[in-house]
Amino acid sequence: MTVQGTNSAIRVGASILRDYLVLVMIAALVALTALIEPKFLSPENLTNIMFQFGPLMMVALGTTFVIIGGFIDLSIAGTINLVAVVTISLIQPMGQVPALLTGLATGTVCGALNSVLILSSGALTQAEALFMTFGLSTVYSAIALLYSHGSTMHFWDITASKSIFQAIGSGSLGFLSWSFVIFLISLAALWVFQEMTAEGRAVRLTGGNKTAARLAGVRISRSIVVIYAIGGFMAALGAIVLFSRVTTASPVIGVGYETNAILAVVVGGTTLKGGKGSVLRTVMGVLLVVLMSNCLNLLGVSTYLQVVAEGAILTFAIWLDNRKHM
Amino acid sequence: MDSGGSEVILSIKDVCKSFPGVKALDKVSIDVKRAMVHGIVGENGAGKSTLMKILSGVYEKDSGTVVFDGQQIEHTTPQQSMQRGLAIIYQELNLVNTMSVGENVLLGRFREMKGMRGTHAKARELLDRIGSKIGTTRLVSELSVSEKQMVEIAKALSFESKLIIMDEPSSSLTAEEMCELVKIIQQLKDQGISIIYISHKLDEIFEFCDNVSVMRDGRVIDTKPKSEFTRNELIMQMVGREIENEYPERPQRVGEVLMEVRSINTRKLHDVSFSLHKGEILGFVGLVGAGRTEIVRALFGADRVRGHQVLIEGKPTPILNPRDAIGAGFGFIPEDRKLQGLVLPFSVESNISMASFRKFTRLGFLRKSIEKEIGTRQVKALSVKTPSTKVPVVNLSGGNQQKCIVGRWLEISPSILIMDEPTKGIDVGAKYEIYMLMKDIAERGGAIILISSELPEVLNMSNRVLTVFEGRITGEFDPKVTSADKIMSAALGFDGECS
Ligand SMILES: Nc1ncnc2c1ncn2[C@@H]1O[C@H](COP(=O)(O)OP(=O)(O)OP(=O)(O)O)[C@@H](O)[C@H]1O
Ligand SMILES: [Mg+2]
Repeated sequence: MTVQGTNSAIRVGASILRDYLVLVMIAALVALTALIEPKFLSPENLTNIMFQFGPLMMVALGTTFVIIGGFIDLSIAGTINLVAVVTISLIQPMGQVPALLTGLATGTVCGALNSVLILSSGALTQAEALFMTFGLSTVYSAIALLYSHGSTMHFWDITASKSIFQAIGSGSLGFLSWSFVIFLISLAALWVFQEMTAEGRAVRLTGGNKTAARLAGVRISRSIVVIYAIGGFMAALGAIVLFSRVTTASPVIGVGYETNAILAVVVGGTTLKGGKGSVLRTVMGVLLVVLMSNCLNLLGVSTYLQVVAEGAILTFAIWLDNRKHM
Repeated sequence: MDSGGSEVILSIKDVCKSFPGVKALDKVSIDVKRAMVHGIVGENGAGKSTLMKILSGVYEKDSGTVVFDGQQIEHTTPQQSMQRGLAIIYQELNLVNTMSVGENVLLGRFREMKGMRGTHAKARELLDRIGSKIGTTRLVSELSVSEKQMVEIAKALSFESKLIIMDEPSSSLTAEEMCELVKIIQQLKDQGISIIYISHKLDEIFEFCDNVSVMRDGRVIDTKPKSEFTRNELIMQMVGREIENEYPERPQRVGEVLMEVRSINTRKLHDVSFSLHKGEILGFVGLVGAGRTEIVRALFGADRVRGHQVLIEGKPTPILNPRDAIGAGFGFIPEDRKLQGLVLPFSVESNISMASFRKFTRLGFLRKSIEKEIGTRQVKALSVKTPSTKVPVVNLSGGNQQKCIVGRWLEISPSILIMDEPTKGIDVGAKYEIYMLMKDIAERGGAIILISSELPEVLNMSNRVLTVFEGRITGEFDPKVTSADKIMSAALGFDGECS
């Protein structure tokens, strides 16, 4: 009986470790980097990290629901490109608040458009969604290029007030940056959606088993529109935080965000199989991804190797995810 | 152990197994003899499947010993037990749908068979051994359930199995397919192979098992030769109480027409029209593939079917999707609980509450305490065996999973409940309870459409029976006064009464 006791204790321990693997890895990464490079824990670098994780965080939080719902969204990069150039170009003619709202609306519409195409074609598998949203990403990017004539737009070209965007980009409220405050608000709202609303539950059921959910009267079409719309909205928010920080918007500004967002979501422990996961896990996933790239930068690792590392981690995370659900 | 005339091939001794919150097996001991069919019966959640999964190496036992073919077995894997000669055929068959029959029979041994030709030749030989004529180049996805089972059996034979475990193999077979399986079991026995046969259908147990073990609450209550059991005694031991009749009386008060369905036409269905009365249980009888499921799916809006008419209490009611159907008072228990019924990783409670969102949301927010009440209420009403309503439904035994789906629909008190194989995998005692609930719905003015491959169930529960053959309704009968033979011949395409 004692053997059995220790056995099950080990099993429980292992499963806790697996659940909190990301936290453990974050701690290890921080400790390791701080040891090698004491600058890592300097206030400048920490502020840097705080600004750095803003855009990816927004995007990844939105992507979380798409994945919990059993789908995937590769159109994010295109959406970011389009939202960035549209928003920045509208500050001058429309004023900053209308520009901001138009930007958010553009993202939401792009997201919803994905779902409408997916639904109307009857493509209800993740693989089909993958190809479709990939195609749409190209379309959105092309529109962004056409719209901006391929040129990068700068903040300083703008004579109208842009104080909101400046605040988002570099301002802070007390010791918190504005982008961090936006993050906290989004996180809280999305967590409430995930845990406490009927639609949040419907999304989960859709991701868990579409057929069963539909036969039990769950509106799976609506859930699919909702997840993609949230994904698009959060991508737009990410785009705005991003160009506000770098003060320019090029029509290729969003490249790579879609894969990094998926990377963060999966590394955080939300399964690609749908039904399970949480925005809180995504927060950890993003932290890990951002810390890792920051750490590799500090250590002077080349960008190419960094991409290799990211790819390896994504592959490993998916591998682990599959093992867990065998 | 003496190895006398009836040699023991498998000896299980004092095996225990616990899951969090459940003692699934408690000192289980069973001996299985060579070339015998050993039946195992027991209530849902008694531990039958768990024991089999320990034998095959899916689970590890906590304590006890297992001796198979003179060899003590510890820490085995499904692969190893296969090679040792112990094969298991799960209720959810494990074939690769996109491959041919031959490739499935000899899966992973393509090289040993020296390529495609060798594979097919060997598969043919194995299928011949059980007298099956399935072409080895056919795709598994095209096979019927019983054909798939044949493929599984041939696969087991390819490992020179000495013991084949069949966990509820008959729950999705028709009567004819069942005869086929019985023949094969006999042949396997003649070849010296032992079989462990798990089933909730006592007729089968009495038909061809040699010995029978009864399990209850993780224990073996009794093991005896079949001839020493009477049917009532067996039921009594299984459920721990006496059950006088396996079926309650039919609902008594059939009233006026509740629903009328006019001309459902699809590629498979031809001009299907029928009516349903208040207080009635309407049974559909037909072969697998005759179109019974297609009819109810079209009615419920599960498939995209247009052009037919549904009138409920005389009012035309368009049903475009399941949600419309539920709004119009329908409930639907689908035939495949894993694929169409349950969200397996989700809790018992959220699986039960899935169709009654409206009851536990306010202004779009969930009220989890009410959801919990719903879960608890149905778990109690159907005596679902589970440590709590929060555990993932996948951890429940097959029959208890089915009860969760039944509970889901009872919760919304539907006026028309469609039940496609509702008692699949459910034990005798619980079946009776479900029949009582059906009767209850009918007697409160609702109606039930019942599809079942168990003919006695349809004939004993229905007030009226429609036979379906090749997508058409071929007859209408009163099962109280019509012989089963007559109804079956209409379902087999011979002339019925109406057509
Ligand atoms: N993986 C698991 N995790 C937790 N509990 C489990 C697991 N598998 C089985 N159980 C529990 O063990 C008990 C025995 O289950 P088992 O599947 O062996 O029953 P069974 O006799 O096969 O029933 P049925 O006739 O319904 O198929 C049940 O109470 C079930 O809830
Ligand atoms: Mg079972």
